[in-house]
Amino acid sequence: MTPTEPAERALRRTVPWIAVALALVAVVYVRALVCTPVEAVQGPAQKIFYIHVPSAWVAFLAFGIVGVTSVVYLFIKDPRLDLFAACAAEVGMVFTTAVLVTGPIWGKPIWGTWWTWDARLTLTLFLWFVIMAYLVLRGAVSEPGQRARYSAVLGILGALLVPFIHVSVYLFRTMHPLPVVLRPGRPTLPGAMLVTLLLGFAVFTFLFVALLRYRYLLARLADVRTQAEAERADA
Amino acid sequence: MPENGGYMVAAYVAAAVIYLSYAVYLVRQGAKQGRGGSERLGP
Repeated sequence: MTPTEPAERALRRTVPWIAVALALVAVVYVRALVCTPVEAVQGPAQKIFYIHVPSAWVAFLAFGIVGVTSVVYLFIKDPRLDLFAACAAEVGMVFTTAVLVTGPIWGKPIWGTWWTWDARLTLTLFLWFVIMAYLVLRGAVSEPGQRARYSAVLGILGALLVPFIHVSVYLFRTMHPLPVVLRPGRPTLPGAMLVTLLLGFAVFTFLFVALLRYRYLLARLADVRTQAEAERADA
Repeated sequence: MPENGGYMVAAYVAAAVIYLSYAVYLVRQGAKQGRGGSERLGP
């Protein structure tokens, strides 16, 4: 057995996870578009909520993971933590991009503008830039220890934005709606809408787990292969 | 009720394109690695 075979097998076994997660996203689409009532004031555009909010939740979860793994990395210096944080940042970037694309499409018919420099929108865009800087930094520093340390610090700074983005709607005058689930007291949504939203949370979280697992295994496989090639060259 | 279903469709299509493109990109990278490609990935 070659040194890369276990990693390759694990990678192949994760492909069905991604397929199942994408199929479940299709179920969320059908439930949101066909089985969930249209909101009386905003009309059909309100249904963007069922993909926008779960995407935002996963983006925050991803950067929470980046923050925690980066802090732990700085203490125990395990390179696997650095790799895991980088993979979570990349996958989180995808979800943040979805938030920043679906948000303005929702904002145009409801607010009358694609974008406004309000606190939550601006901070979310800022988070996107911080994570972009994180990924660019990783490509620019070649010494692994140095790259991991710099990335960890930037990852922690990015993660610190997450709670601030969440409470920004309370701290500043903003056009962005207040949270409807993660708020003090009970959720304010009617039953059918709440079920669709919670299904969206569960499915998008599963999609994130599947993509993150695959991305991490891919990065590990590349590492194992590089190591094996280096050992062959030395021999 | 406002007639803004086009925005809803646009957002759903945009999100699907983003997630599907990334999933396809990852799986293609995996297939390359599985074939023995030594291309260095991002992190």
